[in-house]
Amino acid sequence: MIKAIERYREMSPEQRKGYRKEFFINNSLYMFLIAAVIVIGFLRPNFLSAASIVNIISLSAANLPIALGIAGAIILSGTDLSAGRIVGVVACVSASLLQASGYAGKVFPGLATLPIPAVLLIALGLGALVGLINGFCTARFHLHPFIVTLSTQLIAYGALLMYLRIGNNNGQSISGLDSSYTNFINGSILSIGKTPIPNYVWYAILITAVMWFIWNKTTFGKNMFAVGSNPEAANVSGVNVKRVTMLVFMLAGILYGMTGFIEAARIGSNSAATGLNYELDAIAACVIGGVSFVGGIGKIRGVIVGVVLLRLIFVGLTALSIDANMQYIIKGLIILIACAIDMRKYLVKR
Amino acid sequence: MKKLLSILLLICMLTSLPIFTSSCSASAADVHVFYYTFSDPYISNVRSALGKQLKDAGISFQDHDGNGNQTTQTEQIQTAITNGAKAIIVNIVNTGSDDAANGIITLAKNADIPVIFFNREVSDAAVKSYERCAFVGTDAKEAGILQGQIIGQYVKDNFKSLDINGDGVISYILFKGEEGNNEAIYRTQYSVSEADKILKSNTLPPLRFYDPSNNNKYLVDRNGQWSASAANEYMTTALTSYTEKKGNMIELVICNNDGMAEGAISALNNAGYNLGRADSRQIPVFGVDATEAAVDLIEKGKMTGTVKQDADGMADAVSRIIQNSLTDGKKLTDGLDAYSIDSNVTKIRIPYSAYLGKNQK
Repeated sequence: MIKAIERYREMSPEQRKGYRKEFFINNSLYMFLIAAVIVIGFLRPNFLSAASIVNIISLSAANLPIALGIAGAIILSGTDLSAGRIVGVVACVSASLLQASGYAGKVFPGLATLPIPAVLLIALGLGALVGLINGFCTARFHLHPFIVTLSTQLIAYGALLMYLRIGNNNGQSISGLDSSYTNFINGSILSIGKTPIPNYVWYAILITAVMWFIWNKTTFGKNMFAVGSNPEAANVSGVNVKRVTMLVFMLAGILYGMTGFIEAARIGSNSAATGLNYELDAIAACVIGGVSFVGGIGKIRGVIVGVVLLRLIFVGLTALSIDANMQYIIKGLIILIACAIDMRKYLVKR
Repeated sequence: MKKLLSILLLICMLTSLPIFTSSCSASAADVHVFYYTFSDPYISNVRSALGKQLKDAGISFQDHDGNGNQTTQTEQIQTAITNGAKAIIVNIVNTGSDDAANGIITLAKNADIPVIFFNREVSDAAVKSYERCAFVGTDAKEAGILQGQIIGQYVKDNFKSLDINGDGVISYILFKGEEGNNEAIYRTQYSVSEADKILKSNTLPPLRFYDPSNNNKYLVDRNGQWSASAANEYMTTALTSYTEKKGNMIELVICNNDGMAEGAISALNNAGYNLGRADSRQIPVFGVDATEAAVDLIEKGKMTGTVKQDADGMADAVSRIIQNSLTDGKKLTDGLDAYSIDSNVTKIRIPYSAYLGKNQK
């Protein structure tokens, strides 16, 4: 920060003008964010109440793990279309294993309520498995992740529809969850004022911290960026590109598993529609936050900003009672503009 | 290595073949059933019931998933007819206009096979355009009207305790399943207007939408999925600004279906409401469908009422019509006297019924 100010002082007036222009364009997203909060807060004072802020944070927290997973795939200049369906499968499996005993519509009537850590492991394992398949096919057969995940997305959906018809469930939505599970996710150990903060916010923060560490402090993280920006160069310098690709997708799968595990209890009712299109919001959040489809570029900070911004739009526009049709247009414009600004940075550099 | 891999792939494919072949019958099916989407819980109920009835009647059939896409469904129908289907049963995707229905009827007419539409309604004109065409469904308005009636009755009986802030008006929130769907439109409209009618006749003020600046007077699932998660996120967001402390608490929750009701209840639970205990206040929540989950919530005192759509009845009517249509000399509607049939068009109506708990009517 101080260095930037010093550099600014040394500039000629003309350079300063150019620098200011660049600064405004590059940070326009943050400015838009602040301006939006001020305007909405002015029109609807409730928007800035503790309860409303906790709500925005918890909605963001629920969407953060899936976005962090997809960000890895985008950094490899790929994408992941299967994320939402994996969330759906994991949510339904977790819910079916943790229904309250004695609930009338139980999928497995003979099953006692399993311990939560066991189901969490199953959820993460399931996500990791699908992620590994994505990664394996991408790395081994040199297929674009778009194609691979397009296929696994369909397979996951088919499997989910079959799963919903097993036992005596008969295609019904899976609910009636055990209270230990809903408490584990939705319960609260800390409140701001009188507003309880749901537990899954802490899980999301923990996951984000772990992901920050993996991205920035581990060899695997550095290799991921290297492979993303130039796979050939990474290969020549001794990085095992296939292994890194597989691990990135597997890690993403684990994060989708976590999202599904949280989602099942957060919403409380799980059907084949659970998770539908979640990947699109997550991809949008990543690109808004500067994770570039060019590959090899992205920051955890950016993903968080992107996720929060999308949730702010949802909550803000709902608070302003703006028509749902208009919300699509606004969301579309923001994604488009954010990406255009993002691309511009790299064009200037070259 | 490459060779090994390709051999492995081949083995995979060969071993998976029996799995696929076991799930389809030896010969091509006579009757093809086209569902708008397999992911809808209510449609799943109809699918199970209809599958059982057709099997019991000894009719070979095949189910198709339109996956919410009319193009997919129309192509599936074309393929089935080309492959020699003897009758088709269609749960059409697009209900907004007649074009899709007319296209399907023309396909059936050219092959001279009967076509039975069910659940999602097609227009009278379309059904009349072909003598071997029928529709089995509910009266789309009826669900909304019934829901409105149970809401009106409940609000009238409990007005004092429902009016939390004591301003003499009940404020409500309403979740709509999707835009441009007749069922959603009618439920959204009649649930409120019918309730208001009952309130008015008892000299009580009409219901008021909780957010005065929302001119639509509903919140819609923007993915058009009637989903629990959409209702949950709207409700959670609304509960942050509308609270008992501020004196503007939402006093009534109306949902287009039970899935959305479940999502709303989950949000209410997190705010300490509708826990089904004496120490937590109950905000009345109403849905439609009477899914098993909703029935359970009503039993636990977390939900107030729903409207039951009779999946078995619908499957029964469809299966009878199909059997008639495959038998020479029988009218489509023979033996369907138990159901009400529209006066001048072959449309069979399955009645809805209110559900307020096991012991109440």
